[in-house]
Amino acid sequence: MSEEPQYSIPTVIQHGLHAIIRMPSEAKKIITLEKGKSINLGKFGIFDIDEIIGYPYGQTFEVLDNHKVRAIGATIYDTIDPAGDNEQEEGAEEAEATPAPESANATPIPETLSEKIDYLKKLDVQSSSDNRNIVDIGTAQSLSMEDIEELKKTASGANVGEAIIDKLIKSHETFHQKTKQSQEKYLRRKQQKFLRRFTVEYVSSSNLLQYFIEKDASKVLDMSLQSMGMLLTLGNIQPGGRYLVVDETGGLIVAAMLERMQGRGEIMVLHENEHPNHSVLTHTDYPQAMLDRMVKSINILQFFEPEEERVQFQEYTPEQLKELKSNKRTHYYRRKQNAEQINAVIDNAVSGNFHAAILATTLHLNTFLPKLIPSLGGSRPIVAYSQFKEPLVSLQIQSLSDLNLLAPTLQESRCRPYQTIPGRLHPLMTMRGGGGFLYSALKVFPLEKVQAVGRTGVKKQKIVNGEAKVVGEKNKQKETTEI
Amino acid sequence: MSFLGYKDIIEEGDLILAYLNRDTMKPIVINATETLNTRFGSFSHLSMIGKKYGTQIASDKGYGYIHLLQPTAELWTLSLPHRTQIVYTPDSSYITQRLGITSGSRVIEAGTGSASFSHSLARTVSDKGKLFTFEFHKPRFEEAKREFEEHGILGVPVTINHRDVCNDGFEIEDVELNATAIFLDLPSPWTAIPNLPKVISSDERVGICCFSPCIEQVDLTIKALQEHGWTSIEMVEIQGRRWEAKQVMVREADDAIERLKDVKRRKLEGIEKKRKYYSDNGIKKEDLVPENTDAETEEQKSQRMKLLEDEQEKTKVSKTEFNPFGRGLRIKEGEEGYSWVKVSKNEGEIKSHTSYLTFAYKQPAFVKK
Repeated sequence: MSEEPQYSIPTVIQHGLHAIIRMPSEAKKIITLEKGKSINLGKFGIFDIDEIIGYPYGQTFEVLDNHKVRAIGATIYDTIDPAGDNEQEEGAEEAEATPAPESANATPIPETLSEKIDYLKKLDVQSSSDNRNIVDIGTAQSLSMEDIEELKKTASGANVGEAIIDKLIKSHETFHQKTKQSQEKYLRRKQQKFLRRFTVEYVSSSNLLQYFIEKDASKVLDMSLQSMGMLLTLGNIQPGGRYLVVDETGGLIVAAMLERMQGRGEIMVLHENEHPNHSVLTHTDYPQAMLDRMVKSINILQFFEPEEERVQFQEYTPEQLKELKSNKRTHYYRRKQNAEQINAVIDNAVSGNFHAAILATTLHLNTFLPKLIPSLGGSRPIVAYSQFKEPLVSLQIQSLSDLNLLAPTLQESRCRPYQTIPGRLHPLMTMRGGGGFLYSALKVFPLEKVQAVGRTGVKKQKIVNGEAKVVGEKNKQKETTEI
Repeated sequence: MSFLGYKDIIEEGDLILAYLNRDTMKPIVINATETLNTRFGSFSHLSMIGKKYGTQIASDKGYGYIHLLQPTAELWTLSLPHRTQIVYTPDSSYITQRLGITSGSRVIEAGTGSASFSHSLARTVSDKGKLFTFEFHKPRFEEAKREFEEHGILGVPVTINHRDVCNDGFEIEDVELNATAIFLDLPSPWTAIPNLPKVISSDERVGICCFSPCIEQVDLTIKALQEHGWTSIEMVEIQGRRWEAKQVMVREADDAIERLKDVKRRKLEGIEKKRKYYSDNGIKKEDLVPENTDAETEEQKSQRMKLLEDEQEKTKVSKTEFNPFGRGLRIKEGEEGYSWVKVSKNEGEIKSHTSYLTFAYKQPAFVKK
């Protein structure tokens, strides 16, 4: 096993790889790092891919003029306000109020990052200890959209954001009446809106999941990050394992498992179509050779009826081969290779003894799971994810009387995010619902005829309708199944 | 290596978990001359050797059963001796995923505590990664070190140090820690944060998670993180819930109405039968149950009792056949002949708060390669 080639996550931004772009607004975009191409981030600007090549993943950049970038500290100047807050964009409406333009060139343009930070820090504004003087009449902000558009044209490149923010603050009549926290929140919102910054991250399983949760959660069965983490943890996923996987998230779970396995081990993907849906994997950078070696796919017909599905391939003798025309011979070899591949996967599946079963499927688990149990090794986990609790409740009830399953458990995990500002810590007013549920159990080999061997429980006889009936049978053996 | 990798057959010298029930798992090292004594009986190690992992075995006397499991970090979390509050699976799995810890990662953990999360991290970073764990409490350090050794994870991938990282930092002589993920489970993480720059990777984005039960600790932690250049700071709380599933009987109101009707019908039937009995035998109710029995002779009483018995026998109403909810019978959950609905509820006591998790990241240095 240890002789298998090692894979490690790329740490440097290189041509040919993928990257996920995180913008100040927290919006995400997956890009391919193609040579000579440029990326349009809409209001955050356009940059050339070649500009970011060679930097480490995780680097933040600022968009300059002419598609250039500059490496900087962070997307948002966090010491102003480290929090993510989800309040309404009140500033946006304010910005559309009455015009009172000042001369655009009044804004000094700091050159370095630290200058900018200092500059933002030293903004000559006062603050209030409370909000008693704030009256929301929608006219507090005297800078108009037209002014902002004008600024965008006159200020150069990366400094547009800061220039606009500065102007917004200076022309905001009641800014000094806001509390310090309120000013900070305001500044953060403006940064998210106008700073032309972005961070380039590696397309990790967590990033991929978050991208899909925001884009189309149904594609990943509404799975939350904490559910995915738990799925991998309960499945005891590690390098060198052989896992049986049913993945209806388009390959996201397979991608996450590959990340934990780092080039060693095998994933047997069980699916119900001609080919598995691994559309998510197209956004990742696992080398094709590694995928071919580690990810095997088999449909459930082949899996459950291997004998009928093995390809019977009639091999030609060397003499027969010689007589074939060259195109026929190519065709023969292709057919032969195909048959060998299918048969190898079937043999692999039949050999069983998998190290875990990881299921994220909408197939009915009460009938599906028992069919998979024989393929698992002893003491190995079975973990099933469902976005709904009911199918797992049903599975859990059934499992309580299945002696091949030990300690079946049904659980969920929720993540509650907080407004993270010192002195102002509180849970956010809203958070994502859903996120799914997890069933887990261990495959075991029960002692045969365990009931007959020992005193497994107290049996009381009672006459019911003239018949002797065993009632109140307490099976000590299944003590472990209580939850 | 019992906690890393997979093994099919139990052999001499293996560390196994004897699973008695959900709350009781005993780690034992197989030694052919020893016997495991439990409240479910005695089990000689010899009887375990050669068995497949996952096998259920009977005690030497034939009653009482246990399962023989290969240890995993998660099973260990359920069975380990608690030296401190432990990091449970919902928290540990989320932290691992969010910090992007995988095989090959280099992780710093302080303190080691009960070493529950250490085992989970060791499994995930695998033999290709590193876990540098620090514990300032001497007895806990020694206990944890012994455990890592017994569990075959000391050295690769676990390095444990007896150290107060807040005062003495994280540096280890002759070792480039180059950590890519940090987990701080300390009373005052803000005093350890200034010591991190020397031991974290400068080529990669580094993630940190500070695990603190009190909001005041979070407050100070955030300030320290900001001051030392950590960004994307966010605090969250993870709430894990277990659900108990069962079946409850579907009890139709119409059946309850029907049953009341049945009771009423049989009551009327009894009255009618009694009325008929009295008229057929030319007696009155008072003859059977007189107001005053004091004057009665023994013979009169015996005759009356006989008559009473006869009356009860002849006016008896047949037992009802209609028992929609199985009253008086001991119906097992899910028994045939009744309808059931599958339900679930939370366990009786839930962990409503473990700790606050404060996450932050540090950008790599702006070095273009």
